[in-house]
Amino acid sequence: MPGTTSRHGPSRSPDRSVRPYLLFGLASVVVVVLQTNALFHLPLVPDVALIFCVYLGVAHGSAAGAAGAFLLGAVLDSCSGAPAGMHTLVMSAVFGMAVLLSRTLWTSGVPAMIGLIACAVTLKALTTLLLFDDVLVLDVLRPFVVSHVLRDLLGALLLTPPVFALLAATERACVGRGNA
Amino acid sequence: MLAVRPRYRVLIVCGFLLFIAASLATVNAKSPYRIDPVGALFAEILSPFQTGMTSLAKGTQHFWTQYLDMRAVHATNTALRTRLVALEPMPGRLAELEQENRRLERLLELRRRTPGTSIAARIIGRNSSPGISTAVVDKGAQHGIRKGMAVLTPAGVAGRVVSVGPHVAHVLLISAATSGVDALVQRSRVPGIVSGTLTGTCRLKYVQRDSDVRVGDAIVTSGLGGIFPKGQHIGHVAHVAARDDEMFQDVEVQLSAEFTRIEEVLVVARDDVPARAEPVPGS
Repeated sequence: MPGTTSRHGPSRSPDRSVRPYLLFGLASVVVVVLQTNALFHLPLVPDVALIFCVYLGVAHGSAAGAAGAFLLGAVLDSCSGAPAGMHTLVMSAVFGMAVLLSRTLWTSGVPAMIGLIACAVTLKALTTLLLFDDVLVLDVLRPFVVSHVLRDLLGALLLTPPVFALLAATERACVGRGNA
Repeated sequence: MLAVRPRYRVLIVCGFLLFIAASLATVNAKSPYRIDPVGALFAEILSPFQTGMTSLAKGTQHFWTQYLDMRAVHATNTALRTRLVALEPMPGRLAELEQENRRLERLLELRRRTPGTSIAARIIGRNSSPGISTAVVDKGAQHGIRKGMAVLTPAGVAGRVVSVGPHVAHVLLISAATSGVDALVQRSRVPGIVSGTLTGTCRLKYVQRDSDVRVGDAIVTSGLGGIFPKGQHIGHVAHVAARDDEMFQDVEVQLSAEFTRIEEVLVVARDDVPARAEPVPGS
């Protein structure tokens, strides 16, 4: 039971209810560090934070999840040097979209996952454009915007299955075992 | 505090956070300065991780670059080795070409100073049996070579053409016993016939006992007989012997041209003398 001690004495491991927060906190740090320091060396830079945010929205569509997505965006803003609020807004919007879609649509399986990621990438591009480009609707269809979105989508799609699998497995290992 | 159904709580929280994020982003998008109340704290906390990751990424990149460089070096090394193997015979070939170039230059010079029509040819075969010194050149009737033409080298007279095929010609060298070239001692103008012997040496025959011939005198062609141009160097006197009971002196001639080392020759036809079908040896 949460907050109680085992029969072998006081438990040194964190409370089971805290474990998910610790896990996602640690995962967020890893994601931010990877996103800001390692992945930009690759020819096709995948947005791991976006994938992580979609996972949060689908698997943990709670108020805590929303706060996590918000914090993830804020930390990403701080560590990447992006204008403050940019990633915060994007991550919050993507999380909200993931929560709404996961409640109204069937979001299990690869096709649904691809659809979710495509929506997230498009939403990210739109949000960024709306925020900084005083964009007209037609501007979204500009070739370089489209190509950027497509590249982002490709990177995200390539990385989504392993990231989702890794997060789910880690969650099962850390949290699920405690619940058993 | 939030006494709403859990189903909507997340949406309300999400909307609230979205509003804050949008406000923050809008303000920062328009502001020349960064307005980020807690951003510095986040950055400060995560900076050790970022530094570590940067070092790791750089190390990985350095390792990868070095690996690629090594692969490139290996490929370059293999290519250079292959090239080295291909180039190994080059110094020898270059030296050979240089020597050939020098020989051809001398031949060209000879051609310039030799009157008449001349054809350069390469010796492709030789017979060095004593007294039967002959050679085969790679030019024949189709190249304009005719019987009786003189064969010269930059060093001196080599011989004459004795038979012609369409693409080759046979040359009787002046060191042959059956050969004879009308010659002169250049200094004293003493005439004679240079001819080979069965022992492989050459003699200036028919030189009177009282003629002025000394060791070292140059022997040149006289121009008589219509084969060799006048004044072509043949050799020099190596030994002179005059015996009381002999009518002629015994004059040994050291030929200028080393027939064992000749590779290119100039076949010359005198324009001032019509070519003959069968030139007389020794004429």
